[in-house]
Amino acid sequence: MSDVVIFGILWIVFSVLGELGAKAWVDSAPQGSGPYFGVASNVGLVGVHAFDFLVWVALPIFVFVALMIVFSMVRFHVRKDSPATGDAPAQFRNNKAFVGIWVVASILINVLIWLHPNASGLETVFAAQAPQNNPNALVVDVTARQWEWIFSYPQYHITQSLNAAGQDVLYLPVNRPVKFVLRSYDPFHAYDYQIAVIHGFWIPAFGIKLDVVPGETRQLYLTPTKLTSTEQNPMTRVQCSEVCGPGHPYMEANVHVVTAAQFAAWVKGQQAAGN
Amino acid sequence: MAQRQAQVPSPPELRAKARRPMVPVFRAVLWATIGFVVINAMAAWLDPSPNSPYLPAVGAVAGWFGGLIGWLLGIGGYEHVIRPMFGHPAPVSHSTGWRQYFDFSTNHKVIGTQYLIFSTATFFWAGLIAMAMRFQLMSWRPTIFQYPQNYLNAVGIHGTLMMFTVATVAMIGGLGNYMVPLMIGARETVFPKASGLSIWLVPIGVMTVTMSPLLGNWTTGWRGYEPLAASDGNGMLFYYLGVFALTTSSLIVSLNLTTTIIFKRTKGMTWNRLPIFVWGILTVSLLNIIWLPEIQAAFIISLLDKLIPFNFFNALGQPLGYAELFWLFGHPEVYIVVVPALAMWNELLPVFTRKSLFARPMAVLGLVFVMMLSGMVWAHHMFTNMRFSEMLPFSFFTEMISIPTGFAYLAAIGTLWKSRLRLTTPALLVLMSMFNFLIGGLTGLFLADVPANLQLHDTFFVVGHFHYTIIGGMVFSWMAAMYYWLPKFTGRTYSEFWGKLGAIWVFITFNLTFSNFFILGLRGMNRWVSSYPHYLMSENFWTSIYAFLLGAGFLLNLVHILWAWNAGPKVKENPWEAKTLEWHTSSPPPAKNFDVLPEVVGSFYVYGDQVPEPVAAASQIGGRAPSV
Ligand code: HEM
Ligand SMILES: [Cu+2]
Ligand SMILES: [Cu+2]
Repeated sequence: MSDVVIFGILWIVFSVLGELGAKAWVDSAPQGSGPYFGVASNVGLVGVHAFDFLVWVALPIFVFVALMIVFSMVRFHVRKDSPATGDAPAQFRNNKAFVGIWVVASILINVLIWLHPNASGLETVFAAQAPQNNPNALVVDVTARQWEWIFSYPQYHITQSLNAAGQDVLYLPVNRPVKFVLRSYDPFHAYDYQIAVIHGFWIPAFGIKLDVVPGETRQLYLTPTKLTSTEQNPMTRVQCSEVCGPGHPYMEANVHVVTAAQFAAWVKGQQAAGN
Repeated sequence: MAQRQAQVPSPPELRAKARRPMVPVFRAVLWATIGFVVINAMAAWLDPSPNSPYLPAVGAVAGWFGGLIGWLLGIGGYEHVIRPMFGHPAPVSHSTGWRQYFDFSTNHKVIGTQYLIFSTATFFWAGLIAMAMRFQLMSWRPTIFQYPQNYLNAVGIHGTLMMFTVATVAMIGGLGNYMVPLMIGARETVFPKASGLSIWLVPIGVMTVTMSPLLGNWTTGWRGYEPLAASDGNGMLFYYLGVFALTTSSLIVSLNLTTTIIFKRTKGMTWNRLPIFVWGILTVSLLNIIWLPEIQAAFIISLLDKLIPFNFFNALGQPLGYAELFWLFGHPEVYIVVVPALAMWNELLPVFTRKSLFARPMAVLGLVFVMMLSGMVWAHHMFTNMRFSEMLPFSFFTEMISIPTGFAYLAAIGTLWKSRLRLTTPALLVLMSMFNFLIGGLTGLFLADVPANLQLHDTFFVVGHFHYTIIGGMVFSWMAAMYYWLPKFTGRTYSEFWGKLGAIWVFITFNLTFSNFFILGLRGMNRWVSSYPHYLMSENFWTSIYAFLLGAGFLLNLVHILWAWNAGPKVKENPWEAKTLEWHTSSPPPAKNFDVLPEVVGSFYVYGDQVPEPVAAASQIGGRAPSV
């Protein structure tokens, strides 16, 4: 059999095996969110689906090149003591078909993955950020300071939500859109404009992050889709993702995604506590 | 370090030696100290402040420049640059043996070796810091770094030194300085004195960055992000100054090598025949010349902002302005790292496959297009803070850049196919580099996808991605080049057994270590943390164990190369039967490289039994026969 045929067969076999493995990975969490170890928000789902799609695309490419390396090492390798000395008998410096296919394929693949999942996914993300698509959104004012996340719920007159231990905490009702309003400044030292730095608002389980930039107010809409909490799944936590000084590793806050009724009860409790 | 081409010292040189009072490095240290103390004292006197520490911010910066000037004059700038300006004859370098590497030199091979020495030393120094970081990360709570600012400072020093002293220096200032003149058939470079001084900016830069915590911890990481930098410790100042020294060094290397490549090619060395590695050095040199001044300006602005303060980049100014300026340079920077590596693959593969380089024009065009596109993608480091309207164009250009990058693979694969592959250590390392960089590149596809990027950004997924490209791509190729050119440097060779063992060891431990970084990132481990939630601990623990084994593997390779350099078995000239010009002279090459300048009459990359030699035999051009 010619090298091309053997290589082609191996490529297909390993790609199919690889794709089967990839499928198991993708499906290892609900809704194809395996690579993200599960996702609990609508926008996060867009990201993980993009990730999944790219796994499908990248795998045959990976197998092609990696196999080519191994194949050459096995098939074209000459030992030091081999009688086959001198230059390789096959000397070609070009192969129009191979080069042509390579160039066209790499352009096509790149344009394809730019259109989908990138541009198509972005359309979904952009739409999810439109206020009209988020009726009855819960507004959470998020203030990042060195080094604390402060959450206020203006609709419920909660200025700083705290748990029993006095730590900042984020409660969200499931399946209700949330509008996070993100600011970076220090409300306790508002006169000191120099201590406001860039932070990153990230809840790993939600599959999205956004930088919080001093002097700017940014918004992030998303809808939590699962009942969960930091205690159940440590990926459900607010974690500062952009380095912001010595306290950066500790800039976390606990998150609870609860039912509407539980949320209402929690709001009452916060109000009663005067937070 | 066996550049033992015993030049018989001539009498005037002996006299020069007798007059010279001190070993240059010691004199340089002394003069630098004097410069620092005097200028710092002057600054403290001009700008007295009752509460200021002995080293106030302004004094430290001004003193640093005094120290820099003292250092450069002391190392030889005084005799070789200043005095000749006043009509005195320039002294002839007199050191030989290992001493010449600790002296001012105008010999590009000595300078290249000096760059290799400093890059290698810094690689292990910054690697040791990485080991300390990995030790800390074995536990979810503080162990050796009691305070997070110490850990973050370590991350910053590790990243800064690795980028500005190793990744963008070893293959350019080191191998480039040594090999480019030999490969194009030149006897020297165009600016030998500037080049001789530029290397001595490297130890100053490394010292400055290393000692920066003495002025106060800085926590921004290697990117020096504003506005954090402005409110961070004064060590930030030494970060700017250290990087300033290191980038100036690289800038001089690039100016020197670019002009050398343009003006010093030997007869018959047309652009079409230029070796691939030289093309790689030329393209990255152009990138350096375009982008290093840009980042230096940005750093000077930031430094002044910190001293004055100007409020350029805080809430009163434009906080993202710094990020734009940094990545405008920062993305080309990563191609500065990897382009010489891509070039190295296709330089070595024809030699070890005994087969003509496949699609050579594509391999060269790939490098050139990467260079041109690399200035158009910077904001893909900023998807989490840009406007929606910017996301589409930046993701587009980012994905497009993988097309010319792929051309390096196209050429390599075409060359491997139906070849006669000799699996020596350098060939093995090239193949490993191709494999590792493949993973680095393919994970880049995920990062270039904006919806996925919004999750992956600033996590260990990114850290895995760039270590795969830098270590996997560049460091493995650098090692391949070291084994390949070892017989050239020394006339000696290494042991295939230990070479292969070293290669396989680092390949396995590297992949074990950094594949875990991807998973850690996906599981929610963010960057720049000395402590993390407990659920990540066991994976981090094992990752650290693999990292220690990787560090040991690099050490093994170092010991092996040093042994081979000094005591390896003698080897015949041109043991690989390579065609490029550096093999057409003795090993190690004589001071002026070629007794008779060779003439190029054909391509270096065409193989086959009937193919004539690409270099005209010495008898045709007269003079000594090249030792092939
Ligand atoms: C010996 C193996 C190495 C190990 C185990 C290692 C490990 C690490 C770790 C744990 C981080 C911190 C990541 C974070 O929290 O953001 C890091 C950062 C970094 N490393 Fe390495 N590293 C190694 C070698 C290298 C090499 C060879 C280079 C480049 C030549 C390099 C370049 C960087 C850079 C640029 C950063 C980013 C620093 C920053 O965020 O400011 N590393 N490395
Ligand atoms: Cu923060
Ligand atoms: Cu932070």
